[in-house]
Amino acid sequence: MKDLKYLYTLENLLQDCDNEMVRAAKEEGQLAVGTVCYQLPEVLLNLPGCFSTRLRAPRTSSMEMGTYYMTSLTCEYCRALLERALEGSFQFLDCLFEPASCSQMADCAEDMEALAACTKEKFFCQHVDTPMKDDDNALSHLVHMCRVRVLDKLHEVYGVDTGDEALRKAVALHNEVCRLITEMGEYRKELRPRITGYEFAVFTLASYCLPKDKLLPILRETAEELRTREPDERHKWRVRVVLAGSEIDDPDFVKLIEDAGAYVAADRFCFGSLPGRQEIVLNDTEDVLTQICRQNIRECQCPRYMNTAKINERKSYLDRLAHEYKADGIVFQQMNFCNFWGYERAGATHILGELGGWPVLSVDRPYVVGTSGQLRTRVQAFVERIELKKLQGGNV
Amino acid sequence: MGKKMNSEPLGKFYNGGRTRTRREWRGVRDTWYDYTRWLGNWGSMVKFLSNPQCLKGFFRYRWMQNYLATPDFIDRHTEGLRGPQLRVAHKEFDFIVTHVCDTMKSLFEADQRIGGDPEKSKKMVILDENMMTQIMNGFPNLRGNCMQIPAIYIPSTQQQDSITFYIDKAQEFGIPGDVCPMPAGELGVALEDEYPICGKCALQCNTTCDGSLMGNGIEERRYTMPTWQVAVPIRYTDPETRSYAAQEIKNAIRFVEEQTGEKWDWGAYFKRMENFNKETEYFRSWLEISRTKYPQVIGNNVALYRDAYYQVGGGRDPAFTQNEKEICEIMLKAYGEKNPVVSQARHRAILWGVQAQYYSAFPLWLQNCWGIVPLIDMLSLTSTELYSTTDKEQAYYDMADLYAKMNMRNRSEGGYEVGVEDLWRLCQEFDADTVIMYEHIGCKSMTGYHGIFEQEALKRGLHLIWVTHGLMDPRKASRQNMRTEVNRYMRAVLHEEPLDPSLEEFDDSNAW
Repeated sequence: MKDLKYLYTLENLLQDCDNEMVRAAKEEGQLAVGTVCYQLPEVLLNLPGCFSTRLRAPRTSSMEMGTYYMTSLTCEYCRALLERALEGSFQFLDCLFEPASCSQMADCAEDMEALAACTKEKFFCQHVDTPMKDDDNALSHLVHMCRVRVLDKLHEVYGVDTGDEALRKAVALHNEVCRLITEMGEYRKELRPRITGYEFAVFTLASYCLPKDKLLPILRETAEELRTREPDERHKWRVRVVLAGSEIDDPDFVKLIEDAGAYVAADRFCFGSLPGRQEIVLNDTEDVLTQICRQNIRECQCPRYMNTAKINERKSYLDRLAHEYKADGIVFQQMNFCNFWGYERAGATHILGELGGWPVLSVDRPYVVGTSGQLRTRVQAFVERIELKKLQGGNV
Repeated sequence: MGKKMNSEPLGKFYNGGRTRTRREWRGVRDTWYDYTRWLGNWGSMVKFLSNPQCLKGFFRYRWMQNYLATPDFIDRHTEGLRGPQLRVAHKEFDFIVTHVCDTMKSLFEADQRIGGDPEKSKKMVILDENMMTQIMNGFPNLRGNCMQIPAIYIPSTQQQDSITFYIDKAQEFGIPGDVCPMPAGELGVALEDEYPICGKCALQCNTTCDGSLMGNGIEERRYTMPTWQVAVPIRYTDPETRSYAAQEIKNAIRFVEEQTGEKWDWGAYFKRMENFNKETEYFRSWLEISRTKYPQVIGNNVALYRDAYYQVGGGRDPAFTQNEKEICEIMLKAYGEKNPVVSQARHRAILWGVQAQYYSAFPLWLQNCWGIVPLIDMLSLTSTELYSTTDKEQAYYDMADLYAKMNMRNRSEGGYEVGVEDLWRLCQEFDADTVIMYEHIGCKSMTGYHGIFEQEALKRGLHLIWVTHGLMDPRKASRQNMRTEVNRYMRAVLHEEPLDPSLEEFDDSNAW
């Protein structure tokens, strides 16, 4: 296939959190709002005059400082973020919202705060309690916390307009990004897909990390380009998989899987599009913030949600995605030391494998995996397993 | 060998086997007292097993065999003690023995797996491990029971390798080896179908940690009853979370009412909270005395017992209140006599982090070996508020507050303020010069503060001694590994000699 025009540009931009596009937005006077998790509705951090950026630590090698403060027994993503913060890479942030996502991330954000890793005069780190269920009480709690700990704080410190009109504008911007990402993602359902899982991961990741207004023209042009893009006659993939599990902010992981022969048809992981890149449909009768929060709670597939309905829904959601995206199997990965995804991976592997009949590759991994030979071997073996069983007509 | 503390080398009792070579000689009076209590505990256990249902339970469940080590467990937790401390220890631990026997009896009598009474089962609500039980205070006709406590929590203190089998089962299922062994072990019991089958409904919660709530999700699939999850706020110190938390409690009560047909009884609730408040007042007086030069109820005499009455007792059992009253009387008398708790008090310490279940007698070793006085531990430093006994709306907030401040959780969740800054405040209050900092290998909750703890302790001139352990899995760090970390610090940094050199290194790797 012909290369996508902006792929290389985005690949380069994503090599750094404080990149050219971020700096351009800052020069225009926009506030850089850092976040670390999906638990807070992203749209609230993209009010007029602000742009959200979900923190990552690209090109991570040493994590010595992060390991000193957090020990080698914690999640490498958190340690890498702390390392980056201490190195000064997050100095561009005007504020950081930490939504009580997990203990380790909370510690990481508190360490950043205690060690004054971001030194802007008005910088603040706000810890926001977010619910762990999806019932009405949880919704009203999320609405309240978003109001008092996110919107009011942004208004109080930076004078950000947090009124309904401003929220609607942010939703409109968010929706356009989501529409384009969804359109691009739909092509993955084709049996001769016109976009690779890797390419899609780059564009989706960009939508979480780069200023949306600046990214939008690129997304529009890429969507247009894809409408007429001719897929290869013969592609290199032998099977199609859903990639699920914990945080993946490195598209090279997707590339590794695809290079091993498995097309990543659907992305159900943190920083993926399923869920995360769905439009927010607003009505005129209900409070805007409540509508935004409801969608966030209802769509979230994080294992942090502990009520029975959500626990079951996570498995059926994956099952549905696997059918919808014509997958042959599921790659369920989890970052080492992640309690949430560690248990979820183990449980889902059994449930999806035994009840749903899906072949599941269950792996735990470090934060940086782009060129891991060990993982490549495991994916290759998984591809062969699916192929062999298909040939033999057995139960995979 | 005599009635004085450190009068005989305690390490010589360990010869690498399961049990020690002989009982400790504490002088005629204390030895006789200790021996009669030992017989009394055997009596409680024999009485328990004389119930046919309990006998069935004993042979049905693998984890029950660990209870045979109970007398040894108590010996470990009274090692080297004399006079008032020995009496306080027996008052507490012996009470726990009878209380646990009663809890297990109620479980087995209702257990459908071994032909228990279905009517008793219908009157039972299954509660999550480490879940505060005050929610049952308003249901006088129901019994709240936590199956994980007798299966995992208590055995892990009785016998050091008691739950490794279940941890392995969870890992065979696919649970990573880096998670906390407690929820992993609990899940292992569920996977092996080794929980009693009883209860009309179950309440789960997120009060311990991320791993625990995730284990619950899988365990629930093995339950055969409706289950409700209570989600307590993580940033519970934020006042904006309180109305949500109170509503969670209301919803949980409604769930129990709907499932059991019982109605919430405010009279019963307030009466039991009066007991609970009384117990809190006693605890406050323990702390008050621990702040002085003559602390009396310290170390092991606080840790496990505080867990029991704060969380499991919850004010429902007036026998706890009476027991504490008697402990207070012993304590006040000893304080009046300026009774020393160790032969030579060299350091005053606060124990922070999560203690090793397989070495719950570690604070006693600190006393006996190095003269480190373990004034108080993090798990015991829970809420010391007095809660409303009249205001119904306030009561929901009170229960929510208690749930948020469950043992451990009140420090491991809630942020710096309660996890880090409170430690320095407490060091000042208790005039402590040393912090024994437990580092539980599988715990993700406080490990992220590691560097900050070191920096801040250095700044404040405190001795911070890291003690690494595996909570319920001694394969990760043995008891001797834990002791070695202290030994090294005491010799290399403080250049001190042990009070009892035989305790510096001894072989208890195969001991109960």
